[in-house]
Amino acid sequence: MSGVRKVASAVALLAIVAVLSLGAAAGGMGPFFDGIRALGTFYLSTAPPQIAELVLGPSYRGLSSYSPEVVTSIVWDYRGLDTYFETAVFFLAIIGAVAIYRGIEEPVLRRPASGLSPIVRAVTKFLIPINIAVAASIALHGHLTPGGGFQAGAALAVAPVIVIVVFSRRYLLERGVTKLKALFLRSVGLIGIALVVLIPVIWSVLSGEWAWVMQNQWKPGAEVFSYPAYLGGALISGSIWFLNLFEFLAVSFGFTILFLLISIDEDTVRSCMIRGGEECDRY
Amino acid sequence: MITPELALMLIFVSIAFVFAYLAVEERKLIRAVVYSAVQSAAFAFLFYLLGAPDIVLVYVPVTVGIYPAALLFLIRKTEEVENP
Repeated sequence: MSGVRKVASAVALLAIVAVLSLGAAAGGMGPFFDGIRALGTFYLSTAPPQIAELVLGPSYRGLSSYSPEVVTSIVWDYRGLDTYFETAVFFLAIIGAVAIYRGIEEPVLRRPASGLSPIVRAVTKFLIPINIAVAASIALHGHLTPGGGFQAGAALAVAPVIVIVVFSRRYLLERGVTKLKALFLRSVGLIGIALVVLIPVIWSVLSGEWAWVMQNQWKPGAEVFSYPAYLGGALISGSIWFLNLFEFLAVSFGFTILFLLISIDEDTVRSCMIRGGEECDRY
Repeated sequence: MITPELALMLIFVSIAFVFAYLAVEERKLIRAVVYSAVQSAAFAFLFYLLGAPDIVLVYVPVTVGIYPAALLFLIRKTEEVENP
C-alpha cells in the first residue's frame, strides 16, 4: 500500500511538471521571441548612460536612469512606485508581528548560553563577517552589478538566523542586536526611502519648479531637478544608490526583528498571551 | 540540438524533481526541510543558467536560508515526525 502511494505521488509530481511544460511549450506563456523584445531593447539602450548617449544623443538624460544594471533601474526608477508599495506590504507584515509580540521578552538569565559544538562555532565566526561583507557589496554595488537592496537585505538576514541557531538568542542580544535597535535601524531605512522618494516634491514646492514623485534624473517637463549621477567621480546613479542602501537597512533589520521574535521560547510567549500584559512586564 | 547549457538544465531539473519528491515523502519534518532547501538550490542554478543573476541573489538567501529557518522554528513548536 505504501509502495503504491509513493509511486502515485511521484507520478503526480511528474504530471504537474509535464502539464506545466506542455502549457508553456504550446504557447501558454505568450509567444517566444528569439531576440530581445521592443520594451527590453528600450530599457537596455536607455538605462546605462554610455549606451543611452550613443543611441539617443544629447537628449539621453531625460530617459536614462544612469545605472548600467538594468534590472535595478527598472525596479527603482522606471517602475519605482511598484517597488515602494511592495516594500510597504512587507513592512506591514513585520509591524503585525511586532504588534503580536509586544511586551513579550524572554527572561534574561534562564540558562548559560552554550550553542552547538566548538567546531561549528569557530566556522560560524569566520562565516559571519564574510556574510556581512557580501551583503554590503550586493547592496552598495546594486546599481552596477546584479543585486540591490532587497537581495542584500535577505543575504544579511541569514547572519542573525545562523547566530541564533549556532550560538543562541542570548548571544545575539548580548552583542547588542536587540529588538529596539533593529526597529530603530529599520525605521531609519524606511524614513530614508520615503525621504528619497519625496525630496523632488519638497524641492518642487520650495522652488516652484515642476518635479515628479520618485524622480531620479531630469525628465521631459521636469528638467530642473536631478539627483547627482556621480559622487566624487564614482557613478552612483542618482537616487538608486540611496534607495538600495536604505532598502538594505530596512529589509535586513526587518528580518532580524522577525527572527528575534520567533526564537523566543514558546512557554514564555504562551504564559504572556494567556495571563496578559501585566505578567510580561516583569521580564 | 542538446547544448551543454540545456544538458546542465536537465540535470538540475532532475535533481530538483528528486528532492521535491523526497521532501513530499519524508516523514521526519526536519529532513523534509533540508530536502526542500536542496531543491531550491537546484532551482537557483537553473535561474542562473536562464540568465537571471538578480533572481539568484534573492532566491538563495530566501529559499536556502530564511525560509528553512522559519520552517525549523515552526517545527520546533510542533512534533518532529509527521503522523499520517
